[in-house]
Amino acid sequence: MSQATATRTLTFSQAIREALREEMERDDRVFVWGEDVAVYGGIYGATAGLLEQFGPRRVIDTPISETMIVGAAVGAAITGLRPVAELQSSGYFGIAMDELYHKVARWRYMHGGVFTVPLVIRLPEGAKGAGPEHDVSPEALFLSASGAYVVIPSDPADALGLMKSSIRDDNPVLFFEHAGLYAHRGEVPAGDHLVPLGEAAVKREGTDVTVIAWSRMVGESLRAAAQLEAEGIDVEVVDPRGLRPLDLDTILESVAKTGRVVIAHEAPKTGGAGGEVAAIIAEEALEYLESPIIRVASADVPIPQSRYLQQFLIPTAASVTEAVRRLD
Amino acid sequence: MTAIAPATLLELYESMVTMKLWDQTALRLLQEGRVLAGYHSGRGQEAIPAGGVAPLRRDDYLMYAHRGFGYTIAKGMSLAAMFGDLMANTAGTTGGLGAGIPHFADPELGILGQGGTLGSCFGIATGAAFSAKYRGTDQVVVCFFGDGTANRGAFHESVNAAAAWKLPVVWICENNGYAVSVPVAESTAGRIVDRAAGYGMPGVRINGMDVTEVYRATCEAVRRARAGEGPTLIEAICHRFRGHYEGDPQVYRTEEETERLLALDPITNLADRLVADGIASEERLGELEVRVQDRIDRAVQEASSAPMPGPERLYEGLYV
Repeated sequence: MSQATATRTLTFSQAIREALREEMERDDRVFVWGEDVAVYGGIYGATAGLLEQFGPRRVIDTPISETMIVGAAVGAAITGLRPVAELQSSGYFGIAMDELYHKVARWRYMHGGVFTVPLVIRLPEGAKGAGPEHDVSPEALFLSASGAYVVIPSDPADALGLMKSSIRDDNPVLFFEHAGLYAHRGEVPAGDHLVPLGEAAVKREGTDVTVIAWSRMVGESLRAAAQLEAEGIDVEVVDPRGLRPLDLDTILESVAKTGRVVIAHEAPKTGGAGGEVAAIIAEEALEYLESPIIRVASADVPIPQSRYLQQFLIPTAASVTEAVRRLD
Repeated sequence: MTAIAPATLLELYESMVTMKLWDQTALRLLQEGRVLAGYHSGRGQEAIPAGGVAPLRRDDYLMYAHRGFGYTIAKGMSLAAMFGDLMANTAGTTGGLGAGIPHFADPELGILGQGGTLGSCFGIATGAAFSAKYRGTDQVVVCFFGDGTANRGAFHESVNAAAAWKLPVVWICENNGYAVSVPVAESTAGRIVDRAAGYGMPGVRINGMDVTEVYRATCEAVRRARAGEGPTLIEAICHRFRGHYEGDPQVYRTEEETERLLALDPITNLADRLVADGIASEERLGELEVRVQDRIDRAVQEASSAPMPGPERLYEGLYV
C-alpha cells in the first residue's frame, strides 16, 4: 500500500482531535478554548490530550460564559489569532446568538472588509437524550447569517478534513458535529488530509433517486440505499457537507440525472434547511423532477429527553426508505 | 500627584476642540440632509475620549462607544474618511457602507470597530487582550461603554474572564446618568465602580468632565495593564449636553437641567485653566480653534468629492 492511499481508523471524535492537533502543530496562532476542553478533554473527548501536548497557553478552560467564548474569539481572530472555540452544546446558540449572528458573521463586512475573522466555532448538535434544549440541530438558523460558513461533516474522514480546512480558511466557520456520531469509526486518509469547504460528496452513486442528506442522516441514507438496492431502486446519496458555501452544481447535476429528490435532516421539517434546498431545486431544476420533492425530518415538536419517545420522532434509515418508496 | 506637562495639556485641549468642532460640523451636515445615518452627539463628554485615548500607543487596541466620534479622532483616524462614512460615500472607511452609528475600523491604528448591539464590545475587548497576551506583546485594550451598556449580560461574562485571566484591558464606563431616557438610579443597583471589587480588580470613580482626571486615571490603568497586572475599571461621571440622538425630545429631563450642565463644559473649563496658569493665551487658543476648524473643513471638502458606491458594493468584502 502506498503512502498516498494509506488510511487509519479513527472515531469521529478522534478525527476532530487529530485535526486540531495537526493544525496546532502547524500554526502557533491556532488555539482551543471552551468549557471543560482542557483538563477534562471535552465532554465528547474531542480535545483529549491537547492540553498535555500544547499546554495551558493554547488549550484553555473558559468560564461557563458562551457570550464571552464566542465574542472574545472574534476579538482574538481580528487581532491575529485563529481560535477554535467550542460551545459545549449547539443548544447554547441562544446565549451567544448576538455574537454568532452579528459578530462572527458580520464583523468583517460591516467594517468595510478591513478585518478577516478566521475562527471556527464547534457546535455539537443532534439527538442524544439530553432534552429539548440540548438535542437541537440548529444549523438552519444560520442560513440567513451571511458572512459565516456552515460546515457539517458526516463521517470521520470528512470531520478531519473539513476541520483542517475550516481552521485554515480566513472566513468564520460554524462547524456542526452530531453528538451521536462521535463514537462512530471510519477510515481516514493518512497524511495531510484536507477536504475543501463548499464541495459536496456523492457518498453513493445511483441513477433512480437523489437523497440529499447531511450529518447523521448520511449514514442513515446509505443504509436505506443498501436496502432499496435489493428492491431494485438505485439511490444516489449526496452529502453537501455544509450549507454555506452550498455546492449547488453537484446537487443539481444529481437531480438532473435521477429526477427524484428526497432531502433528509434531523432538524424539524418546518424551518429546517431542507426547505431552502427544496426551493432552490424548484427554482433551478423543476423541469427535471418526475415526482414532488419529499423532506424527511423530525416532526415540529420539541425533542423530549426520553430516548424511548425519541425513537418515534428522530428520522432513521427506515424514514428514508419509506420516503423513497412514496416517490412517483 | 505628578503634574501633567503643559504640552500634554495643550494636546488634550486640541483633541477636545477637534471633537467639539467635528460634532458641530456633523450636526450641520445632518441639518443639510447630507448625513445618511443617525448620529449620537458627543457634546459635553469630550474629556473621556480625549483623556482615555491619549495614553495609548498606536498599536494599542481601541473599542469605542457610540457617542460622538472623539475616540477615533483621538486615535488618529482620517477625518475625511469619517465624514465619508457619515455621508455613506466611497471616501468612508467602510467604502460606502455608511457608519453613522459607527462601524469605523482601522487595524493599523488598533481601532477594532464597534457593534451596533451595545455590549458586544466587552467580549471583543477581552479577546483582543487575550490575543495580545498570547502573542507576547505588551499591547493594551481600552474599552469605552456607557452606564446603560454596563447592564448588558456580556459585561459580566467578559469582565470576569478578563479579570480571572489578568488580561491587559482598561474598562472605561462613561456614566452620563441616562440610559437613553432612563435615569441610572432607576436602572442600576449600586455603583458601577463597585463592581470592580466583585471581579477582584481596582476600580476608580472620577470626574469625567475633567480631562486631567481621565488622563491620569487612564495612564495608571494602562501602566498596570502593560505591566501584566490585569484590568482596571474606571467609572467616569459625565453629562451629555444634547439628546441621546438628534431629534430626541428629552422628555426625561428639564431644560433648566440641560442649561445648568453647560457650566461643566470640559473644554471651556480647561481653556480657563490654561489661561489662568499661563500655559496659553486666549489669543493662542483662538488661533488653535481656527486651525482645527480649517482642518475639519478641508476634510469635509475632501469627503464631499467622493462618489457614492454602486450596487456592486453590497456584495464586496463579505467573504475572503
